[in-house]
Amino acid sequence: MLRRQPAFPGGIVLPAPGWLGRSRLAGDGAAWQLPFASRLSLPLRQGACTPAAAVVRDGEEVVRGQLLARADGAGSVPLHAPASGMVQAIVEQADLAGGTVPVIQLVPWPGDTQEQVVGTALDPASASPAAVLEAIAATGLVDLGGERRPLHARVGAAAGQGVGWLVLNGIGAEPGVAGARATLRTQAAELMAGLRYLLKASGATRVVLAVEPHDEQVARGFMALAAGTLDLFLRVLPPRYPQGADALLLRALADTPAGGVPESAGPWALCVDVATVAEAGRLLPWGLGMTDQVVTLAGGALREPGRYRVPLGTPLRFALAQAGLDPGVARVLGGGPMRGEALASLDAPITKGANAFIAMSQAEAGEPVPAMHCIRCGECLVACPVQLNPAELGLLARRAEYQVMHEKYHLDHCLECGCCNYVCPSRIPLVEQFRAARMQWRRRQQATVGEDAA
Amino acid sequence: MKPGPRGLRLAPAPHLHGGGSVSRLMVHKVIALAPVTVFAVTLFGLAALATLVTAMGACLLAERLSAPRVPPGDGTALLTGLLLGLSLPPALPLWMVAVGGFFAILVGKQLFGGLGGPVFHPALVGRVFLQAAFPTAMAHAWVVPFAGGRASQLPDTSLAMPFLSPGAGYDALGGATPLAAARLGESFPPFVDLWLGTVAGAVGETSALLLLGGGLYLVAVRAADWRIPVALLGAVAALSGLLHGLDPLRHPDAVTALGSGGLMLGAWFFATDPGSAPMTRRGRWVYGVAIGLLVVVIRQFSGQPEGVMYALLLGSALVPHIDRWTQPAPLGWRTPR
Repeated sequence: MLRRQPAFPGGIVLPAPGWLGRSRLAGDGAAWQLPFASRLSLPLRQGACTPAAAVVRDGEEVVRGQLLARADGAGSVPLHAPASGMVQAIVEQADLAGGTVPVIQLVPWPGDTQEQVVGTALDPASASPAAVLEAIAATGLVDLGGERRPLHARVGAAAGQGVGWLVLNGIGAEPGVAGARATLRTQAAELMAGLRYLLKASGATRVVLAVEPHDEQVARGFMALAAGTLDLFLRVLPPRYPQGADALLLRALADTPAGGVPESAGPWALCVDVATVAEAGRLLPWGLGMTDQVVTLAGGALREPGRYRVPLGTPLRFALAQAGLDPGVARVLGGGPMRGEALASLDAPITKGANAFIAMSQAEAGEPVPAMHCIRCGECLVACPVQLNPAELGLLARRAEYQVMHEKYHLDHCLECGCCNYVCPSRIPLVEQFRAARMQWRRRQQATVGEDAA
Repeated sequence: MKPGPRGLRLAPAPHLHGGGSVSRLMVHKVIALAPVTVFAVTLFGLAALATLVTAMGACLLAERLSAPRVPPGDGTALLTGLLLGLSLPPALPLWMVAVGGFFAILVGKQLFGGLGGPVFHPALVGRVFLQAAFPTAMAHAWVVPFAGGRASQLPDTSLAMPFLSPGAGYDALGGATPLAAARLGESFPPFVDLWLGTVAGAVGETSALLLLGGGLYLVAVRAADWRIPVALLGAVAALSGLLHGLDPLRHPDAVTALGSGGLMLGAWFFATDPGSAPMTRRGRWVYGVAIGLLVVVIRQFSGQPEGVMYALLLGSALVPHIDRWTQPAPLGWRTPR
């Protein structure tokens, strides 16, 4: 019998390394609340959003949940005080984009009750879709699955496309970000509440929950709880990285038509990961603003890896110390092991959508292996989930042929998932080369645009 | 990787690796060739052993001399030497074998830029050089299988002094490959002998069965792409079968064609070498079929008794074009399915 052609080619099956397994176990229960650091730093640019506009002044006292900055344009989200305390200063700090961004420095009151400001609640059954969308925007939520864009923008775009389905992504963009399993187990009620809000705002009517087999039991438990209240289907997909990426997940689901999931690969669904939906369901019924988020802290250099509820603006060093950071840590990743960036400093604050940090021990980081020449084995072509030719792109990158890379070899389609790098027997740092090539190409194009205008 | 502030080390994503390496691929290939090598030494005795050792030694030495700073740990030179030795006639003068080994590494590999650079398989380049430079020796240094005294003494031709013709030495060997014999009007040996390998031929090409087993092992451990040998052997079988159907007296049948000459060695171990094969999956089908058709055409319609070597070279010469024609379209540009 011929096997069904998968909806996207390639991908890899990742074995769970020891430390990922540990964080999965540790992350099975509810998230542990982290205490407040002595000072919280809140950049007005959070996640992949445009900067918000501050509405507080230096020296102002604020209550937990109070608005610190309002959304400034559609790509921006409001920022709420993660703790009751005093705005010490608003300072300009360098950001990665090469400019500066204002950062609100907040000193929490020691010993305060930290009671949160409660806004106006909204009933999803009676409110209009526009009102629900506005309420979502007011929470300041961003996508917690790794994309980090404003949630209301995604939901609004889906409503504009008239999608019929909401895909509840229980797979996740990265291995080791132990979110879905624990959320399904401990936050079922919040998940269901969040779904009702998102369905109303997006106009979708049916929900499909996608998980990999190791989470099937937990997912079935959630299905049993939700039975009767929601039009909900469960789809268990064989493990494959990076099928948790939204675009690929929609394809994978569309290819297994059961329970009436449409086969078209067009924009038929709004794809949101479980952590985001649960957070929406936690905030919206009380009209709360986003003041903290669940972050997975994992890796062999932590004594207590697991899921932590971290107040926004907490310095990473403080959060890792709370999880028992070994001073001999070799490498700290912002994000998961496949796409996460190695951080040069632990002083940066945790911002919205930063859902995982991995502190690798010496043994996990290993010694650097020198790259050899490409032997043209073609493994990367087999592994690429978007059917690019990473080997050829790598050879072109060495010659700085950025134009050919983009125009003939479609580098703009690259997800930077790392599959090609993972399988390369010559250990060529392909993803690094592609990122550099994309940056150079963008810079060159901006330069030509500037010349044309002049 | 440079140390960051406070001892943090930086490295590009991804931070996991599948564990594959070039030396692991080479180890798999050597394992896959082990049964053939043992069989060759049983069949042709000291002559085969000396040829293999000389070829590998020459390749390692050439690599050492030409790239003294590169550690030879990846095993590619050793594999090149092994493949060269396996593809040579057993009684070839050893100094010629050494020359072939040096040529394979220095010209076939290093002149093309070292590992990953060669357009043609280096061992094949070495063999072609020998074929061109010493046509008489390459055409006559065959040994009859299971010759008496093979385990205790080398044929006189093996020990011929450099640049001196061993002259009558070849006539004493008395071997002729089945393909060459068929060219002279003799009939093929029974296909059981062909497949078992108890016939005259190059050191490691005679046993189609053992080569097939080794090839299947390579495919099983993902050290070779199955598409190339399947396409290649399929094309050989199809075209041979067609020709045999048209003229059974002139053309051998498909089973004989598949079991004779260097076809199995070429299909499983030379054609699958990634350096001289296309990278795309569709391209590998094209490449395999092209070589397979060329093998039959050269064998049946040219002055050469055996065509695998030239077919492989011509196939490799097509690779840049095949790669260009078969670039995959990115996902979403065509509907899947």
